[in-house]
Amino acid sequence: MRVSPDLSVEIAGVPFPNPVMPASGAYEVDEIHDNFFSPSELGAVINKTIFLHPRPGNPPPRIWETPCGMLNAIGIPCDGAEAFIWDKLPNLRKLGPPVVVSIAGETMEEWIELSELIESTGMADLLELNLSCPNLSDGIPWSTEEKTLERVVSAVVSRVKLPVIAKLSPVVTDIADMARTAEGAGASALSMINTYKGMAIDIKRKRPVLGNVTGGLSGPAIRPLAVWAVYSAYETVKIPIIGMGGIDGPTAAIEFLLAGASAVAVGMYNFIDPFTMKKTIEGIRTYLLEEGYSSVREIIGMAHTRA
Amino acid sequence: MAAPVYRKATLVSRKENPKGYFHLVIREEQIAQTAGPGQFVMVRGWHTGDPILPRPFDIVLADPLKGVFRLCIKVEGKGTRLLSTLKKGSSLYVTGPLGKSITEFDSSGTALLVRGAGAAAVVFLAETLTKLKKPVFTILSASTKSRLVCRALLEEFSNDVFIATDDGTEGYHGNGTDILDQLITEGKVDTVYTCGSHRFARHVKALDLAGKVKGYLFLEGYMGCGMGDCHGCAVKKDGEDGYFLVCMDGPVFRSRTVVVDS
Repeated sequence: MRVSPDLSVEIAGVPFPNPVMPASGAYEVDEIHDNFFSPSELGAVINKTIFLHPRPGNPPPRIWETPCGMLNAIGIPCDGAEAFIWDKLPNLRKLGPPVVVSIAGETMEEWIELSELIESTGMADLLELNLSCPNLSDGIPWSTEEKTLERVVSAVVSRVKLPVIAKLSPVVTDIADMARTAEGAGASALSMINTYKGMAIDIKRKRPVLGNVTGGLSGPAIRPLAVWAVYSAYETVKIPIIGMGGIDGPTAAIEFLLAGASAVAVGMYNFIDPFTMKKTIEGIRTYLLEEGYSSVREIIGMAHTRA
Repeated sequence: MAAPVYRKATLVSRKENPKGYFHLVIREEQIAQTAGPGQFVMVRGWHTGDPILPRPFDIVLADPLKGVFRLCIKVEGKGTRLLSTLKKGSSLYVTGPLGKSITEFDSSGTALLVRGAGAAAVVFLAETLTKLKKPVFTILSASTKSRLVCRALLEEFSNDVFIATDDGTEGYHGNGTDILDQLITEGKVDTVYTCGSHRFARHVKALDLAGKVKGYLFLEGYMGCGMGDCHGCAVKKDGEDGYFLVCMDGPVFRSRTVVVDS
């Protein structure tokens, strides 16, 4: 009898029972999802990014389908940190998997205040800094300028004990440089990648489709770009990478693992098939069995091995 | 309310009526048994990357005994064109039932003011009200006679159906809101549901704000998931900051609570 392979991985010292988690903002834990699968089966859980204060989000239309992908300009609506801590965080905590709390700040002070606030709850295992949402009107390039990235990551890291994940934007000259900068500033892990900035135009109205004019492109359309981003960062940094960008099942997830991701996140495909993450976990297990590996950790970064 | 399921379902029948509108009968027992008026499903009938997202459609009718439900789709783009060409027996992926079911039926008389594909949204409600022996008056509007949608079903589940066409090819030659106003004046209706026309929505909202009726709007929005994950289908709240999500807070809204686009 063959032993079921070990799917557990470690991100910044936090054990994940398996390497599959949702991407922030693409999966809610609530009763609507009760009939699909239990989020307790996931490698980790994560919230839709919160800010310190409530935000309404962007005017509609907020999403637009594109070939093999979608543009979104949601604008991170949220009820603010207090509501999150009281209403949502306890529900994530009680599920079982590690809790990643995704946060963003509009100012340096907000990044610090929110990080400290989340740490003080004792309900988070990791802190993900969403430095890379392309849809915020203030347009602060938290992760597109090395100096700004360095400043915000090091400021947060110096104030909290929680391991910090830097979620990076791919809209840069060389994402490996940004990965190295985040690592140098003290990030314990990287989430790669956020969406690519893009737009669509309504040829009848002769105007941009999205209410926000531009949006972030996600879905299988960006997967090769994301795999490359992870691959190139893996050659540069030692901290673990959570890979994402168009993952629609186990094959795509395994590509990211081989490129160097220690875990993967599913975003848009949760909308298309709410069982995608469960199927991805099962498919990775099957792949490891078929390929004769006893642990998923054996294949992380394997694509870099030169023959 | 029952949590939605995601299932591979079967297309039982497909019929075009009128031209450009397809009635799809789909077998999926759990959805058929738990769906209520006002609810919708997300449907995908393809494995392609283009189109990639499922599409939302109102549940026209559900038959819990036969385990089937019906949709009526207007062919508009890639997704609806693909769905309109599916053969009987084809598989579809369906998530549902989604959205809030209508649960208040205390009106003394209900008007359904609908236009074009919007007619499909209110059939389930008309059937429910008829079963409860509540009077239903339907005003079915279209640009022309050949674009009247779900006519036979609405005739089955209404005390009266009034036709209004823009070109006068059938029924009242003019605006369906004139007929609504007449029904209100006659004291026949105290509640109005509307779908399929911004003009109708504005009219119903004005009546609601004037205290003449309880007005409700069936709304739609660009929707990625139908279950609150993507936050795409935002509709602006009236009187306060922020947005509702059509999928979670609707798709039926009290008209005075939302901003109606011009």
